[in-house]
Amino acid sequence: MTSRASTKYTRNAIWFVAGGLLLFVWVIPLIWAVIVSLKSESEVLAYPPSIFFEPTLQNYRDALFGGVSILPSLGTSMIVSTATTVLTIVIAVPAAYAFARLNLRGKKWLGFYTLATQMVPPVGLVIPYFLILNKVGWLDSYQGMVTVYLTFSLPFAIWLLVSYMEDIPWEMEEAAFLDKANRFQTLWYVILPQVRGGIAVTVIFIFLNAWNEFLFAVQLGGNTVRPVTVAMYNFVSVEQTLWAKLSAAALVAMVPMIIIGIAAQKQIVKGLTVGAVKGGGRR
Amino acid sequence: MQLPPKVGIGRQRSGLFTGERGFALLMVSPGLLVLILTTTFPLAYLIWSSFQNINLAMPFLDGFAGLDNYRNMMSDGRYWHAQQLTAIYTISSVFLQIAIGLGLALLVMQIPAGQWLFRIMAILPIVLAPVVVGLFWRTLMLAPEFGIVDFIVRVLGFGSVNWLGSPTPALISVIIIHTWQWTPFAFLVLLASLASLPPDIYEAARIDKANAFQRFIHITLPLIRPAIIIVVIMRSMIALSAFAAIFAATGGGPGTASEILNLYAYKTSFVELNFGYGSALAVSLLIITLGVSGILFHLRTAKRN
Repeated sequence: MTSRASTKYTRNAIWFVAGGLLLFVWVIPLIWAVIVSLKSESEVLAYPPSIFFEPTLQNYRDALFGGVSILPSLGTSMIVSTATTVLTIVIAVPAAYAFARLNLRGKKWLGFYTLATQMVPPVGLVIPYFLILNKVGWLDSYQGMVTVYLTFSLPFAIWLLVSYMEDIPWEMEEAAFLDKANRFQTLWYVILPQVRGGIAVTVIFIFLNAWNEFLFAVQLGGNTVRPVTVAMYNFVSVEQTLWAKLSAAALVAMVPMIIIGIAAQKQIVKGLTVGAVKGGGRR
Repeated sequence: MQLPPKVGIGRQRSGLFTGERGFALLMVSPGLLVLILTTTFPLAYLIWSSFQNINLAMPFLDGFAGLDNYRNMMSDGRYWHAQQLTAIYTISSVFLQIAIGLGLALLVMQIPAGQWLFRIMAILPIVLAPVVVGLFWRTLMLAPEFGIVDFIVRVLGFGSVNWLGSPTPALISVIIIHTWQWTPFAFLVLLASLASLPPDIYEAARIDKANAFQRFIHITLPLIRPAIIIVVIMRSMIALSAFAAIFAATGGGPGTASEILNLYAYKTSFVELNFGYGSALAVSLLIITLGVSGILFHLRTAKRN
């Protein structure tokens, strides 16, 4: 009786320590950002940092509708991320199908090539892309930005989808073959429904990575194409940083990602693990 | 360099239909074509430009440079410094991520219920944009006096530290920021890996009177070693290409105190407008990245056999 009670006590203590640690270290910056975003700029610089204050939504109003509104940038990020995601899936699904299930000469080397393209550091791409897009006149254009985003989304998508497609039992394809389905029909009616989950995971990862991208966005974008990760810099300057407005803008920009993260938590963890078990994966 | 054996391509039964190579080629060619155009062509361009003088500030000097950029690199103290920082940054942040992530995963494994709560909390840093993480830490966490970390350190009586404004703390800070954002990744993958282990082997060990530490060293660790190696590979690649968080937090400064190779190549190209030399720096980073991944993949295959 006593020993069982003390085991339970130990368990609860572990619970408490682990929970406290995780909460404190990983959630506090976000919670603090929320608190700061509800303060006035002068309240932010009170010392010691205040917990009790008159909350205001002014920062959100300024970030969204003020002089340096991030609203157009949210639209830009949406367009770029969506276009990248759609284009990537359309190109990656057939390629992954061929890699995973078709009789293809040199498959091993093509697979290795795909994996290698995924490891290229972005700074090694932003330099030539700046020079190339400058020559072509595609700097600060949607087509240029989406092209550049394909460099990280496409290899990643092919790899993730290959690992999902490999898990489909061969019998299903054999059955389709016996039913005289051609290859396209097999892909469309047999394979695709089976990898819906895998495609969903891939979509989530691509969209997240595209939305959060910064290096290409800041260097290859401009006044026409300014994703929200770049627009946030409007609130940071050498002379002063508008903490409260920055926090509000950053939170607005990150809310879609946080919602996706929490809603698709299971799929994201699965995607991370599939990548980890099979190799590859940009994040 | 070898493909990891578990990857699967070319390993298993080929397709049902022989003589359908044409269809396979049709499926795979758009993807390959786009990959070649979007990644390989720019890389070839990068290598070409690393043998050129391309300086947007002094375009009249542009032209073929031969090995000049690489020769300059060898005698460039700032380059070797950046390389050293890259090594410190990558090794320490990956080590910390694995150590803390594994520790937390082992801890959370002990909790009978509510693991989903921890998984949700761990997802949060992962889905944030690195540039946002850098900005949050620069202002809300590390700013002298008003940042939480500095506030706590002051309350504890250590005095205020200029975290991002003095050399050693700045380097430590960018390592901490990276570790903060990506430890949950290691945690989640290792937690999943731990959860997939069969429970009966522990029973056998318990009957043999192995204590918790022995069980960890002799049973758990060998079983999750593949997962650990994969996390090391993935995290090393990301650490080697880390940019946005450092850019937002310190910009590589103060001076060059947190300027890893990435930032040096970036600044040389886009601030000093010396694209030729910047390209050479980026090529050296590329070689380092491929070399490290080759070694790590080799390690993985060797460990498996």
